[in-house]
Amino acid sequence: MFSYIVRRAAGMVVSVLLVVTITFILMQLIPGDPASVLLGPNATPEQIAALNRTWGFDRPILVQFYKYFVNFLRGNLGESIFFRQPVLRIIGQRAETSVFLGIMALMVVVGLGIPAGVIAAVRPNSWVDTSLLLLALAGASIPSFWLGLMLMVVFAGKLHLLPSSGYTSVIATGNLANLKNLILPAFALGFVNAALVARTARSSMLDVLRADYITTAQAKGLRDSVVILKHALRNAAIPITTVISFTFASLVSGAVVTENVFALPGVGSLIVQSVLKRDYPTIQGIMLVVAVLYVVINFVTDLTYAFLDPRIRYR
Amino acid sequence: MSFAKLILRRKTLLFAVGILLSLVVISIFSPYFVPYDPDALSLTDRLKAPSGAHFFGTDHFGRDIFSRTLVGTRVTFILGLSISAFALVFGVPLGVLSGYYDRVGMVIMRVIDALMAFPAIILALALMAIMGKPGMVNVIIAVGMVWAPRMVRVVYSSTLSLRENTYVEAARALGASSGRILVRHIAVNLLSPVIVQSTFTFAFSIMEVAALNFLGVGIPPYVPSWGGMMNEGRTYIIRAPWIIIFPGVFLALSVLSFNLLGDALRDRLDPRLRNIV
Repeated sequence: MFSYIVRRAAGMVVSVLLVVTITFILMQLIPGDPASVLLGPNATPEQIAALNRTWGFDRPILVQFYKYFVNFLRGNLGESIFFRQPVLRIIGQRAETSVFLGIMALMVVVGLGIPAGVIAAVRPNSWVDTSLLLLALAGASIPSFWLGLMLMVVFAGKLHLLPSSGYTSVIATGNLANLKNLILPAFALGFVNAALVARTARSSMLDVLRADYITTAQAKGLRDSVVILKHALRNAAIPITTVISFTFASLVSGAVVTENVFALPGVGSLIVQSVLKRDYPTIQGIMLVVAVLYVVINFVTDLTYAFLDPRIRYR
Repeated sequence: MSFAKLILRRKTLLFAVGILLSLVVISIFSPYFVPYDPDALSLTDRLKAPSGAHFFGTDHFGRDIFSRTLVGTRVTFILGLSISAFALVFGVPLGVLSGYYDRVGMVIMRVIDALMAFPAIILALALMAIMGKPGMVNVIIAVGMVWAPRMVRVVYSSTLSLRENTYVEAARALGASSGRILVRHIAVNLLSPVIVQSTFTFAFSIMEVAALNFLGVGIPPYVPSWGGMMNEGRTYIIRAPWIIIFPGVFLALSVLSFNLLGDALRDRLDPRLRNIV
């Protein structure tokens, strides 16, 4: 196990390095003098000189890359042109909304996806199975922002059941009722991935249900619920977990648009704002944070598998 | 597979192909047969609900949603095709070389994995910001850069398994050059996975283009596009939801039919691809 962890950790470090390099190269592609681009049109010569000192924009490219990397390790992702504050701090302020939205969307994914998949696998070709298949197809084809807008029309506009937009911090106000604002966005965001998880849960459950130990368990006279939940679902868990861990990237992508639809003050709406305002340091900071998070999550998932299934360690 | 299921498959495939063909016809000919000029303003007809005069209603400028939605098909298909082509042009050569030469593969696949660590829309948004202006070509590059790595992955995995085939070994034993093996024995057999992946690329890329247009960073707002229409309709969503409903239905139907087609092609051409594509 130890050597497996070391190998995967080394892989993770290489990926992080590459992610940092790619963002660096991308930012080199912006036309114009970097210091004036980063400071915006109203910069003074003193500010430009100071920025050149921190990031070394007037030095050779390798020195720049070195400084960029050192700054990254120190957690210095630069300063936002628009907010005039360190990028990392702004991302931190916006993180709460996105994290809560992500958790709630994940609850939709798991809470809808796994039961739906299990039911479809237990009764293959039944109406439940067919409608699940259709729903899964629809889920994969409906853009999450459109679904969000439609939910808004129905639940906020017509039925007045849930708020349609905005979000105030639960942590700052201590008011849990604010989470109501995230229900519609979380559903819009989670539905697509729930469909995917349901499909995977169905097919891996179908594989497992054919196994001999299921027949044995049934022959022992165990109740169906015990056989399905204890013997089958546990063994079908690995592929399902994989798909759930894949949903991270797709949840982040979806969140960018969903936060925008529901006017939520999260990291997703921050990047859109920054693109519209050409706030390059913020764009770059968000890219880095999200990609590094992705690499780390992959690492943790891989370790979890290796822990759950010893065969993986020896591959 | 039961007989009923086979018929059902056939039906869904027919449905998908039917929708696709109609959309292709619409995208080519719609400018000649739509009832209104898609850009014609009519202040007396603002925010009209769907009716006999305006099948899909009108927007806040009194423009006909039906005409705009149909004409928007064209820009969607042009972008979808161009992005798939972009992914092919970069993805196939890189994938084949990485799969065939281990050393090349080690380097390229690392970079590809790192590129794929950026969630699709975030990479596309950043690229749009870097290129500076909204526009068709920039959208093709931005979204193409997102989907090309995924094409590389598919081609790479397929090449890895293809090169282990006995006929490749036989060709090598007969003294065939690497170039000949790559073109005559490997590239030819990549056709199925590449076609299948292109179908999915098309489906995902038109969804992403719509998202970019919806966020206002895709193609310029004066070109009628489904994402752009939905963006403009947001302010009036409660009063005039039809501005958003119809372009969304068209988008979902296009994506759905490409996904169905991709699934069907995959099962038809090579069921083993399920694990790769």
